[in-house]
Amino acid sequence: MRGYIARRVLQGIVTIWLVTLGVFSVLRLTGDPVSYMLPPDASKEDRARLIALYGFNDPLWKQYVVFNNNLLHGRFGPSLRWDSRDALEVFLSRLPATLALTGAAMSFSIIVGIVLGAVAATRPDSLFDRVAKGAAILGQSMPVFWVGILLILLFTVYLEWLPSAGGLDRLGLKGLILPAFTLGCLFVAAHMRIVRSSMLDVLDADYIKMVRAKGMPRRTVIWKHALKNASIPIFTLFAVNFAQLISGAVVTETIFAWPGVGRLLVDSVFVRDYPVAQTVVFFAASFIIVINIVVDIAYAWLDPRVRIAG
Amino acid sequence: MARSTTPAPELVLPQPVPAHKTGLVAWGRSVFRGAPVFSLCFLTLAVACAVCAPLLAPYDPIQTNRTQTLVPPSLSAHLLGTDHLGRDILSRLIYGARISVTVGFLAVFVSGTVGTLIAVVSGVVRGWADTVLMRLTDAFLALPFLMVAVLVVSLLGPSLVNVVLVIGLLRWMTYARTIRSEVLRLTEMDFVRLARAAGARRRRLIVQHILPNIVNTLLVLGTLEVGSAVITEASLSFLGLGVPRPLPSWGTMLAEAQTYVFTAWWLPVFPGIAITLLVMASNLIGDWLRDRLDPTRRQL
Repeated sequence: MRGYIARRVLQGIVTIWLVTLGVFSVLRLTGDPVSYMLPPDASKEDRARLIALYGFNDPLWKQYVVFNNNLLHGRFGPSLRWDSRDALEVFLSRLPATLALTGAAMSFSIIVGIVLGAVAATRPDSLFDRVAKGAAILGQSMPVFWVGILLILLFTVYLEWLPSAGGLDRLGLKGLILPAFTLGCLFVAAHMRIVRSSMLDVLDADYIKMVRAKGMPRRTVIWKHALKNASIPIFTLFAVNFAQLISGAVVTETIFAWPGVGRLLVDSVFVRDYPVAQTVVFFAASFIIVINIVVDIAYAWLDPRVRIAG
Repeated sequence: MARSTTPAPELVLPQPVPAHKTGLVAWGRSVFRGAPVFSLCFLTLAVACAVCAPLLAPYDPIQTNRTQTLVPPSLSAHLLGTDHLGRDILSRLIYGARISVTVGFLAVFVSGTVGTLIAVVSGVVRGWADTVLMRLTDAFLALPFLMVAVLVVSLLGPSLVNVVLVIGLLRWMTYARTIRSEVLRLTEMDFVRLARAAGARRRRLIVQHILPNIVNTLLVLGTLEVGSAVITEASLSFLGLGVPRPLPSWGTMLAEAQTYVFTAWWLPVFPGIAITLLVMASNLIGDWLRDRLDPTRRQL
């Protein structure tokens, strides 16, 4: 087990290193980074200052060494837009909003997905099951931003129930409902499908038949005994979905003017604030890698076969 | 009189086969058994719109008309209404199909090619090449896909070619992983072993024995991926990083519609329906192809 963890962590570190190499090459090899960062009417002196500040006149290998050294010390360079505040600081100030949004969206989709999937599995081929299946196919085909716009159209424009833009600090929980629902919709379908199929398997298992034979009411069997085991696949799916969750957050935050890191990235890219953009991408990638390692280790801990095969 | 307990065997006469069970019609029926008819029709429609947009579109999709702005949908002039610059929504949707269909298919072509190449090298060469390529696949899988796409497209500059390349080069991992395991399975099978024992070279082995056997998997994966490529293009366009304006991409139309969501419901509704239908068509056709091409899942 210890060997497995060590191997997995090492692989993760190699992957993170590959990602940083990718970020470095993308920013350096796609042309002159200085001209991306400066407005077109920048003076020669400003240009020279920026080149000296970021060391762009050094040889590439030296820039790479400095880049890695800065990363190791958590220095991501000053932001070009936010009064030269440290890029890391800007990123961290936006992180809570994104965590609230993604957390709420994920909880919503897990709860709804489990309930709908379980109900569909207990009545296979019923009207409910068919409608749910159709809705799942539809839900997996609708782009997140369209769902968001439609919800604004319904709840903000016609019903005037909920606000369409703002963050937690300005609107409180009321502002969280629409964005979280939009982002959560993306995963309800996936969660429902997986719970339905695993629930069908579980309901066929011997221990469920045993409980039933002993005279346990159907409701208790399904919601207490079967559901526990049928829900496990959702959490393994979580690691796979995490990258998609972050992509969805970028779009959702843009629609609802949610002050999180996804919107920060889009804004930074438009004002050519590449130190901040690079920080956001680096941390998002690292989060995904860490989540994957944690899930893999949890899996290996639960299932010894994985340790040997992996 | 006692009845005989065993009934007399009935004489089975050869029945004439009805005409609709032979020939082209029957062949067509057997090929399209259980096919998602609506999805195939919509995909055909989208491709037709993409190819013959100038013939089908009632108006110029880019020409603005200041006197006809935000006209609601009506049967008289503008079937789906006009946008804030007086451009006909239906015409823009028809031209928009060009971008979605082109990006969808080209991006899948790029990612399918890269993924297959990596999978075949990985599965046939094995050893260190396999290790390196699979680590690389892991690294790409860990990327926050849309974020990287946003960053790279903004650096390269938004254009159709860049969008295709970025989507294509960031989405090959599914192919690499699935096809690699397929290749590993194939290389252990008797016909490949025999070919190798008979002295077939690696190149012949790949071209003659491995590639023909992964075509089905590639086709299924590719069809399923068209949908996600279409969504990604629309997302990038929505964020302002897709195909540059005034070219009508469905994503761009939605981005512009956001400003008018309070006054003109038809602006956001129709492009979204178009995207959803195209993505759904690709998903359903992919599911059908998977069941159809996999003999173990086919129900005869």
